[in-house]
Amino acid sequence: MASNQNIPKLSKELCSKMLSDLEKARRPVLLATKCSLDNANYSPKVGYLTPGNKKVRTELNVSSVKKMTRAIFMLEILLRHLETGQVNSKRELYYIAKGYTKGDPRLKPLDFGDQEESDSTIDFICELLECYREELNCFADDRGGQTYSQQLVVTETLPDGDKAVIDLSKLGTSPFQPKNRPQNLKLAVKKKVDFALIVESQGTANTFAANGFTKRNNCILIGAQGVPSNAVRGWCKLIQDQLRIPMFFFGDLDAYTMQNIFRTLKAGSAASLIRNSDFSAPDVKFLGVLPEDVKKYDLLAYPVKENDAQEMRSLKKAADVMKNDPFFQDKRNKGLANILHWLLKEKMRCEQQSFFTVDPRDPIMPEKIILDKIKNGIYV
Amino acid sequence: MIDNLASHQFESNIMKESSSPKSKSSKGAITSSSTAEYFSKNLQQVGFSSQTKAVLTTLKEAVDNSLDACEEGGILPEVKVEITKLGAGSLKNTDKIKIRVEDNGPGISEDDIPKVFGEYLASSKFGKGRCSRGQQGIGISAATTWAQLTNATGARVISKTKSMRKAVSCIVEVDIKNNRGTIKERETLDWDKPTGTTVEFVIDGRIQLNGEAGLLSYLTGTAIVNPHLTLTYKIAEEPVATIPRVTEEIPELPDAVEPHPHTMKLGEFIAHSHLFGRVKVKEWLKRGFSRVHEGVLNDIVKAGLSRSIIEKSVDSTSETDFKNLFTTIQNLQLMAPSTKSVMVIGEEALSKSILRMGAIDFFAVVTRKPTICDFKPVEVEVAIARLQKRVGEADEPVQVLRFANRVPLQFDKSSCAIAQSISSVNWRAYGIAQPRESLPQGPYIIAVSVISPFIKFKNASKETIDGSDELVEEIRRALIQAGQKLSRHIKKESKEGELEEKLRHIEQFCPILVEGLCRITDAPDSRKKRAEEGLVKILGRDARDTEAELKVAHARLEKITDRENSKEKDLAKERDSENDSGDDSDDESETADGE
Repeated sequence: MASNQNIPKLSKELCSKMLSDLEKARRPVLLATKCSLDNANYSPKVGYLTPGNKKVRTELNVSSVKKMTRAIFMLEILLRHLETGQVNSKRELYYIAKGYTKGDPRLKPLDFGDQEESDSTIDFICELLECYREELNCFADDRGGQTYSQQLVVTETLPDGDKAVIDLSKLGTSPFQPKNRPQNLKLAVKKKVDFALIVESQGTANTFAANGFTKRNNCILIGAQGVPSNAVRGWCKLIQDQLRIPMFFFGDLDAYTMQNIFRTLKAGSAASLIRNSDFSAPDVKFLGVLPEDVKKYDLLAYPVKENDAQEMRSLKKAADVMKNDPFFQDKRNKGLANILHWLLKEKMRCEQQSFFTVDPRDPIMPEKIILDKIKNGIYV
Repeated sequence: MIDNLASHQFESNIMKESSSPKSKSSKGAITSSSTAEYFSKNLQQVGFSSQTKAVLTTLKEAVDNSLDACEEGGILPEVKVEITKLGAGSLKNTDKIKIRVEDNGPGISEDDIPKVFGEYLASSKFGKGRCSRGQQGIGISAATTWAQLTNATGARVISKTKSMRKAVSCIVEVDIKNNRGTIKERETLDWDKPTGTTVEFVIDGRIQLNGEAGLLSYLTGTAIVNPHLTLTYKIAEEPVATIPRVTEEIPELPDAVEPHPHTMKLGEFIAHSHLFGRVKVKEWLKRGFSRVHEGVLNDIVKAGLSRSIIEKSVDSTSETDFKNLFTTIQNLQLMAPSTKSVMVIGEEALSKSILRMGAIDFFAVVTRKPTICDFKPVEVEVAIARLQKRVGEADEPVQVLRFANRVPLQFDKSSCAIAQSISSVNWRAYGIAQPRESLPQGPYIIAVSVISPFIKFKNASKETIDGSDELVEEIRRALIQAGQKLSRHIKKESKEGELEEKLRHIEQFCPILVEGLCRITDAPDSRKKRAEEGLVKILGRDARDTEAELKVAHARLEKITDRENSKEKDLAKERDSENDSGDDSDDESETADGE
């Protein structure tokens, strides 16, 4: 695995190997880690999906010469940025690349038709160097992860070496927003924290905070905002590693949440096999909504509609996942697999907000249920 | 001409007419009218629903009759069509139009002329179970009626059979009250043709030349599905055009087959029994139906029907017995009807024919084996051609040519079984653009011909084929086969494109790659030079391979083009020689007319 410091070195080695192959009139071969479910391993001891031995082999020939040349062209740009500390998003890099090809007619054949092409070139470089794009100074938007706590203190090391200390209890009603590279953050607590709660809906997390959840409980409250971004995933990993507190995820009871949101948070994804080690929090437990909650609290559940394309697709995928996904196949995750089974069988979904129906006059009813579930160990 | 459906409707009328003289109508009494009377009031049912359609239908009926007659007489058809505007018509907003169709068929004997042109349902075509263009014998009489109604004169006919020394010329009119043809202005004349018929109608109508429902579309369509036809036409002010025949083979007329009992309804079944006089029921069953033999008769008895019923005479059989017999037969497993009665064009003839459509890049032709759909023998033939000149927009739907028993269908495309089948095929798989569940797009002609002695039309004027699931599936299969053949051409083209692209890639990308690698590794110029040389060696090998592949592909394509060119040359030669002789005959016929 590469780190920010040795990326230039690794890149030089890679290019030098290619050059010497060419000098010997041999075809250079690039090997990239195959990032797909059929190359994903899962061990409960490790806790996240790791890459297997499968590599994608690209040999220089008439069909691949364009892809290889584009990769070297983009790598050169990224290395230059690493040297100067310039940071960009994928979209910006697309325009920067266009700027180079516009200025030099010889580079015209490399011109990217659309952002998809430049994005896939960046992803290819990451797979070659086994690094993630933040290590190449290519950052995604910091989406999700807004955090509330009365106990947490974050110390951030800035690029110029300065340190910034953020006491979350001093932010008033504003949340703390974690960055895409949470590795630069150090965590401390003013008082013992009992647990961290990650809520799927950012809106619901904000409601909890506004209603005083963090005042009544010694906890860290995080809004995931749907599928967790690198920022959310890295942030949860950081809390898990540095604070070692129980962590719970509270979200909808449906196939999409289970496969795309919770699994990604807990064990990473097949597309990000290379960086799951830094972007997954294996200790997170699924607090609910659980199938038994639906019965116990008489929650409002809906049948999955035929025209709900996303949910129908997820249900279809769930059937495949049972057979192919090493995470759900592992016996330690049987409880989670059972939930998927239930969803497939019942074809129902129940949203996290349905806890508000239990006692419509009591604004903190959901909080009471959540605390009760944590106290009595009703989670998976 | 009229379809089966309509024929059932009018059967009762015909029977009444023949059995009892027509009763005079009196107030309040139920009267019967002649078939001619019915049609004279309902000409829209048989294709005379608008002024433009009247011209097209008249032309169609005359040409269809000529082709049917030639085929029956074993003659290679030569048909000449002339459509002239004579002035304003009697109706508002119409023109007076003369439609003249001349053929070299066997001719019609003098006695038959009034029956053919002036009597409804008189021809021998009715219910014959054969793949002729006309099925009932209504259309041409309807055209005569239209001429009579709009111009007060019937059809002028000149005809000569082998046994006649001189040709006979006369005007045929329909006696609408009695459904009978009458003859006026009869005279004999010398005609240099050994045999043939000319028919001339002067009607009110309007000429529509182009478009799907246009006269040209009908004439070229007819030429495609009749490769053995030489068609000469002159429409209005347009110059004379000739489409020469591309095959000398006269299509073999298949034998008519007796109906299959499973294709009948009870009423038809009983009516069918009356055609055989006083015979035993079992004799009638064996003689009057296909696929009924001694074994089937035994099965009928085994199925619980009393043997006495089939031993009885047909005319003493009660309606209940007929009903029981009919139900028993319907429940028996019978062999499917024979497919012998289906007359095909054939892949070779269709290939030659489609090349007459103009500049064509390539084409694919498929003739399916005759099969049974809805208990009726059916044969489907498909030709797909790509036009060289890409007229119009790329996203325009393909040109669809539909044929039923070698007659072009020109109206109400969307509800036709053929259009439904075309839309149901995934053309994208063969490299042709297609919006979801609609006709494909691009410079293609898709011609589909359905041939069957019993085509189920949706309406009496035979404009669309009714789409049963079985028929749609059969057409679909033929289209898929043709699509697969076509896609080989398209793929070859795209492969060539790819190879050229690859060669360009090598030249463009290699220098950039080496320079980039050298910059990242800070390599000296000597390394750069060596890498460039190495790269040239590697990609030189690739380039050589690519060029070799390209050469092979070019050679293959040239072979195909050569083959097509030589085909076209042969055709052109044939055409020239035919034109020479054709011109002569034109002159001669003109002199004959003049005389």
